[in-house]
Amino acid sequence: MTEKAPLSTQAESLVLSRDDTPRVHIEGTKKSAMETGRNRLLVTGMVVFMAFALVGGRLIAVVTSSPDTTKKTARTTAKPNVATRGEIVDRNGIILATSLPIASLYADPQEILNVDEAADKLSVILPSLSREEFRVKLSGKGRFVWLRRNLTPQQVYNINALGIPGISFEDGERRVFPHGRTASHLLGMTDVDGKGIAGIERYFDDALRQAGHRVQLSIDLRIQAILHQELSAAVTRFEALGAAGVILDAQTGEVAAMVSLPDFNPNNVGTMQGEAAFNRVTKGVYEMGSTFKLLTAAMALDSGKIKLEDRYDATKPIRIARFTIADYHPKNRWLSVPEILIYSSNIGSAKMALHLGGKMQKAYLRKLGLLRQLSVELPEVGTPLSPVPWRDINTMTISYGHGIAITPMQMVAAIATVVNGGYYLTPTLLKRDKPKPGGDVIQQVFSKKTSEKMRNLMRLVVARGTGRKAAVPGYRVGGKTGTAEKQGNGVYRKKALISSFVAAFPIEAPRYVLLVLVDEPKGNKSTYYYATGGWVAAPVIKKLVERIAPMVGIQPIHDGVTDKPNKSNVKKQNTAPVKAAFARKDVRAEERNGAR
Amino acid sequence: MRQTTMLFILIAGALSLALFSVKYHVQDLEDELANLNHSIKAEQQAIRVLKAEWSHLNNPERLRGLAKRHLGLDAVMPTQMQTFKSVSEQKGVSTP
Repeated sequence: MTEKAPLSTQAESLVLSRDDTPRVHIEGTKKSAMETGRNRLLVTGMVVFMAFALVGGRLIAVVTSSPDTTKKTARTTAKPNVATRGEIVDRNGIILATSLPIASLYADPQEILNVDEAADKLSVILPSLSREEFRVKLSGKGRFVWLRRNLTPQQVYNINALGIPGISFEDGERRVFPHGRTASHLLGMTDVDGKGIAGIERYFDDALRQAGHRVQLSIDLRIQAILHQELSAAVTRFEALGAAGVILDAQTGEVAAMVSLPDFNPNNVGTMQGEAAFNRVTKGVYEMGSTFKLLTAAMALDSGKIKLEDRYDATKPIRIARFTIADYHPKNRWLSVPEILIYSSNIGSAKMALHLGGKMQKAYLRKLGLLRQLSVELPEVGTPLSPVPWRDINTMTISYGHGIAITPMQMVAAIATVVNGGYYLTPTLLKRDKPKPGGDVIQQVFSKKTSEKMRNLMRLVVARGTGRKAAVPGYRVGGKTGTAEKQGNGVYRKKALISSFVAAFPIEAPRYVLLVLVDEPKGNKSTYYYATGGWVAAPVIKKLVERIAPMVGIQPIHDGVTDKPNKSNVKKQNTAPVKAAFARKDVRAEERNGAR
Repeated sequence: MRQTTMLFILIAGALSLALFSVKYHVQDLEDELANLNHSIKAEQQAIRVLKAEWSHLNNPERLRGLAKRHLGLDAVMPTQMQTFKSVSEQKGVSTP
């Protein structure tokens, strides 16, 4: 801006010269106001520029941001299915139960425009519901109605393609048991809302609800399948009411397999009712019969009061109060401890138990966990029945497995204690390492010596006694038959039997203890109409050992003597009278009578 | 004055263009991410289904039936198990 002549007054400050182009002259106070305005503009401009620079800088920062930030975003959005119920797997990781995604169809009846048309179309895609049923559901008064649960992806696609307004899907999941009936009582079941209602599903319900939690069982699916198959075959063959089978790892207390028949299909809720829902292995309590004689002999020998060669008078039945204790195959002579087991003598067992004393018998049974409820990872657990007060007559009948009722699982755990060196192991359905002595899952009940004697006696029963049908060429199986009469209306029914067999193999160092129990088998022509443990349950044990032992890698011994008793052991334990007593004619007589 | 204004207009124009393209780029990436997440979920579910099916197909009783029907195989019997030693001890077999 140019300045002209000095101006003195405000009036003269604005001069327009004629020949010049019009110019604005600003002077004095006005000039300073102009300066302020200019400064303010500059400051504002700077601020705006800074703001843009900031935004620009941030833009560059965002575009060239590190890959780390991107990853974090991806991870937070890619959530796995949160609501998924955990898997149940066997000891080798094979899936026994898992949850699969499914869609369920529901409708809002108020939004359905044409009920008849919708019902027509839906009934074509979902034939399990009729047109009428759809019409009733779709014309309801409410605002929500389930049409059908558990749709296949194809059905979902087809229904979506119909484009009916007012119907939608809810994503859910369905519990699937890929092996069906093979492990039904063990795994249990879930209801329609995915809540465990029986078995492992119920016992570990809280844990399984946590996403991704996996329950690994001690079960070996291969063994479980074999047990299921052989037991089912026995039930069919003998037209039995049912059966129970357990296979327990004698060294760890892990349950390798357990089957209760009749069973149900856990994939179908409707099949779980009545007898089929009842778990005979852990819930059912039974009078075990003669298999209990093993426990009687073990406690007798362990107490030190009774020696192997001690003899008891079995010449005539015992009459006490209104009872008579008799033998099925009376020998009518004095019997040694091994003979009592081999001939399954009730009289001998009763006398042996009396000699031992009821107090001691009770103490041993308590240590074997037979007087209290079993602790195992299942909600279905039965409480044993034992006599109060414990009189002499009870001591006598309990010695051969009557007057006390326990679950098959408890029996197996007790027999495992007898054969594994005397350690009671709490049975478990979860995979565990071999427990060390001194822990809370393990308790010494019998001495190692007693255990060794008992193993030899069990071997004798299979090699030469009532359990010969359980012998497997190549493996040393030891065991004991059991046949109990079922009680009905307070009396024992002669024709209704619980036939069982408890076995351990290989008997020199038992790996598995097996129990097979058949409820009310009917003898047939092939068993000469006998339905006792030796005829019904022992052959099942033989088949089980035959199939399981090679599979789990137990080397068979082909020395030609495996189905005969181990001679050196017999001699060492001074059971010479046993051998003498075993003239061939006795054996043949036994065969004719049928192993009891 | 005019030059500075022009400069600012240019800068503002360039920045808004950049902003525009970045915004759409980010939107595309977000779509892609959502798609990927969706397909990851679908794959995870498919894996669960396939694992269950695999377990079902490996049912020991089913396999036994198939082996018997198509291969004529049966369970190994204890008598079929021998050691190398016992095999070489048999007559007519020379130990190498």
